[in-house]
Amino acid sequence: MSRFLIKRPLPHGGRLVERVVRDPERAKKMIKGCPTYDIKPTLHYESEVPVRNVYREIMSICYGFFSPVEGSMSQAEVERILKERRLLNEWIFPYPLVFDISKEDFKKLGVGSGDRLVLNLKGKPFAILDIEEVWEISDTEELADKTFGTPEDNPEVVREKFNKKHPGWVIYKSLNPIVLAGKYTIINEPIFRPPFDRFWYPPRKAREEFDKRGWRTVINHQTRNVPHVGHEFLMKNAAFTGDLEPCHGILVNAIIGVKRRGDYPDEAIVEGHEAVNTGGYIKNSRHLPTICLWDMRYGNPLESLLHGIIRQNMGCTHHMFGRDHAAVGEYYDKWSTQILWNEGIPSFGFPAPPTDVPYGLEIRPQNMREFSFCPTCKEMAYSETCGHEREKLSGSFLRGMVAQGVQPPSIIMRPEVFKVVVKWWKHFNYPFCNEKYVINKEKELEVDLKDL
Amino acid sequence: MADYFIDVLLDEGRLKAIQEAGLGDQIKYRFAGELKLVEVHVSEDTKNKVLQEFDTARTDSRNAITDVPVAFLRELYHQVVAKKSLGDDAVLAVLEKSAEIKDLAAKESEFLPAPEID
Ligand SMILES: [Zn+2]
Repeated sequence: MSRFLIKRPLPHGGRLVERVVRDPERAKKMIKGCPTYDIKPTLHYESEVPVRNVYREIMSICYGFFSPVEGSMSQAEVERILKERRLLNEWIFPYPLVFDISKEDFKKLGVGSGDRLVLNLKGKPFAILDIEEVWEISDTEELADKTFGTPEDNPEVVREKFNKKHPGWVIYKSLNPIVLAGKYTIINEPIFRPPFDRFWYPPRKAREEFDKRGWRTVINHQTRNVPHVGHEFLMKNAAFTGDLEPCHGILVNAIIGVKRRGDYPDEAIVEGHEAVNTGGYIKNSRHLPTICLWDMRYGNPLESLLHGIIRQNMGCTHHMFGRDHAAVGEYYDKWSTQILWNEGIPSFGFPAPPTDVPYGLEIRPQNMREFSFCPTCKEMAYSETCGHEREKLSGSFLRGMVAQGVQPPSIIMRPEVFKVVVKWWKHFNYPFCNEKYVINKEKELEVDLKDL
Repeated sequence: MADYFIDVLLDEGRLKAIQEAGLGDQIKYRFAGELKLVEVHVSEDTKNKVLQEFDTARTDSRNAITDVPVAFLRELYHQVVAKKSLGDDAVLAVLEKSAEIKDLAAKESEFLPAPEID
C-alpha cells in the first residue's frame, strides 16, 4: 500500500460520543420520579424573538457531532475554553455550550448537583440532564465578548468590537444566568420531518455510509445556502485534492438551525443540494447532502474549528474553507479562517494550526478561493488561475433575480435547483425566510416526538 | 448617455415582448449569452426621485440602481414594453404608480407570487 494513502481519521477525542437510549422501557425506568423541565428557546435579550434552541445542541452532542463533548459545561470548562479553546480533557473546542435557565425556573425546580432532570421537548420527554454542577454566569455580555474575542485581546483576526448586530454574540448575551452542568442523554429519539429525515446522517451512520460506498477520502462542503453553479464548481474542483486519487466523496453538511430573514429556507437548501446530484452535475455515488443541527454562531475562525470537529467526527478526511467562512459583518478579518488553519491564532490558544497542536484535529483543511464565469475562457474559472476579467456573481444579484421570478440561466443556477427553490417558494409563499417562517420554524422545530 | 441605469432581466417570455416592442437591438447578453437584460437609462433627477420614494433603493459602483421592490421592477418591465422605451419616461411612468407599488412592497415580505415553471 502506498504511504501516500490517507486513512479516515478517528473521531475527535478518540471515540464517538453516543448518548442515546433506544429502549423505551429502560428510558421510562431512567426518568421515573425525576423532575421535568420544558425546553424553552433562548429569546433575544431585547426583541425577544427566538435566537437559539438548546435542543439542537443536545442532539448534536448526544449523536456525536460534537464529540468528545458530552453535555452542558461546568464553569471550569467554560473558563478553559474562553482562555485556550480546550475542554478539561485537553481536546480543542471553540465554544462554551451550556444548559441555561432563569433564576425563577431554578427556584421552581429546586434541583441541584446529583439530580436528574428530564427535559421535555414539544411536551414530550426528550432527554435527561444528570446535573453535576450548578453555576451562575455573572455577566452574559462579558461571556459573549470573550467567546468571540475582542480587537484588544485577539488583534490577529478581530477587527471590530462585537455588538448586537452579530447574531452569535446575541445568543451568548441572551443566555439565562443559571447553568445546569452535566451530561445529556436522549431517552426518546426525535423523528425528523420530511425533507430533513432523509438527510440525517449522525456520525456513526455517516461513517457506515462511507464504508458502504467505498469512500476512503471524503471532502466536506459547509453550506447554509442553496447551491449556485459557483458552489458546484468549488465542490467538484476541491474534490481533486485527495491522496493518490481525487476524493472519493463530497459530503455536503448543511447547518440547520435558527434562521435570519432573507436566508433561503432550510428545506430549499437541503433539497437544492440534493438536486445537484439528481440532476447529475455531481454523480449521486460521489455526493451526499446531510444536515447537522446548530444555531450558527457566525464565529468565522472559531466556527470553522467547530466545522472541522463535526466533519472529522462524521469521517471526512478533508474540509473546504472559503473566504468569510461562516462570517457575518466585518468583525473578523475576512481571511481569518485561513489564518487559523495556515498558521494558527495564538491569542485563541493556537500557536500552531488546529491540526498541529496536541489534542488537535486530523482533518485536512483545503482553503479555496472562488469560481466565477469567464467570458473569455467560456467556462467557470478559478479566481487564482484565470487571468481574465470574470463575470462575478453576487448573492444579492442572484437573489434579486430569484425574487423577480426570472429563471436564472443554467450557468448561474441549475434548473433542477431552481425548481426546488420554486417548490418551497410556493409552499411558504415566499422564496426566502420572512418573519413568519422564522417564527414558525422555532415553534415547529425540525422534529416531532412520540409519547414515551 | 444617461447617468444611471436599472437592469431589467429577461426570461424567454419577456425577451419576446421586448423584441416585439422593437427594442431587440438593445438586449445585452451576459454569462455566455445565457443571461439577457436591458438597461433602462435614468437621469440624475429621476434617480433622486426613485431613491426618495423607495427607502431600500441605492446605487452601486456601476451606477446601477438596485434594491428597489420587486413590484417596482415588474412594473418597470411593463412600462418599458408599453412605452417601447428604455428611457426616463418608463421610470417616470412607474413613479406615477408609487403608492400602488408601495402597497405591494409592504406585502412583499408576506407574499411574492412564485413563477410558473415546468
Ligand atoms: Zn479566463
